[in-house]
Amino acid sequence: MNNFAEKQIFEKADNWAKNNKKIVLATVIQTWGSSPLGIGSRMIINEDGNFLGSVSGGCVESKVIEECISLIKNKKNCKKIEFKVSNENAWDVGLACGGDILIYIEEITK
Amino acid sequence: MKIKTIQETLKNKSLKKEFAVVTNLSNGDSEIFVPGINLKGVFSEYISKIEEIFNSNRNGIIENSEIFVQTFKNPIKVIIVGAVHISTFLIEFAKNLNFEIIIVDPRSFFATRERFPHTKIINKWPNEAFDEIETNTRTALVTLTHDPKIDDPALKYALKKKFFYIGALGSKKTHEKRCLRLIEAGFTKKEIETINGPIGIKLGGKSPSEIALSIISQLVFEKYKNKI
Repeated sequence: MNNFAEKQIFEKADNWAKNNKKIVLATVIQTWGSSPLGIGSRMIINEDGNFLGSVSGGCVESKVIEECISLIKNKKNCKKIEFKVSNENAWDVGLACGGDILIYIEEITK
Repeated sequence: MKIKTIQETLKNKSLKKEFAVVTNLSNGDSEIFVPGINLKGVFSEYISKIEEIFNSNRNGIIENSEIFVQTFKNPIKVIIVGAVHISTFLIEFAKNLNFEIIIVDPRSFFATRERFPHTKIINKWPNEAFDEIETNTRTALVTLTHDPKIDDPALKYALKKKFFYIGALGSKKTHEKRCLRLIEAGFTKKEIETINGPIGIKLGGKSPSEIALSIISQLVFEKYKNKI
């Protein structure tokens, strides 16, 4: 457990909230097999597509950002997204390392 | 998650409190858990499971539920005895690895604010300095002066208080002599064997920054080995 990055991420969230930005928090809530980052790893995204932190080793971030922005657009509260091992399609978003991760995305509310 | 939870988290971190953030994954509702205090609503039903995850320093979903727990514990405290060149690099590495560093050195010309601008420095002999530091089994000691006058009292204190990591700089010969002094002081062989001496994992480097890297690597290794 390493809370160092979480502090920076929460500070950024607070800062964006003060500037009235819409913010989504992404958290790794479950892992199976060899996942790149541990449970509790976080990334924060705002409506402009700016982000800080990570939920994998760069494997699924682009897809997570896309999902977060559509969460804001669709005015949804929260969602779980599962990523599995990438196989046939090398350009598909997935985990080359052979693990599965479950990511929870949620909008930061007032 | 509510922005209030994020602000409370930051406040608790700055007050050096230990707590957990609990989230109801079905609706995004969140609360701060502090040991000994009950929670509201659905979270109150899972209080013992939340405590269990918190006490084992883990993050995770409570089995058969939609409750996610993220534990926030204070960084591991590393007391460095000796404001030497290696210490300056240790501080740099520690910054990004979630270790809190305290420097102890009675030699005030070594432990100056200019050399260590953002670090807690105690310009006292270890015995007096330890009176000012709250320690527990999540505390580590790194002695770097290889002067028995300064290092030994710190090592004795750390052995008695069962720090999770104790490392002492010095060659094999220096360490053998150190062990003999500790035996004379009444410590058992088993206790003395918990000291990592010569300090650090073997990387082969000899420069102060390389020695600092080998020490900080050993600290990270022991942290996970001991699940701290």
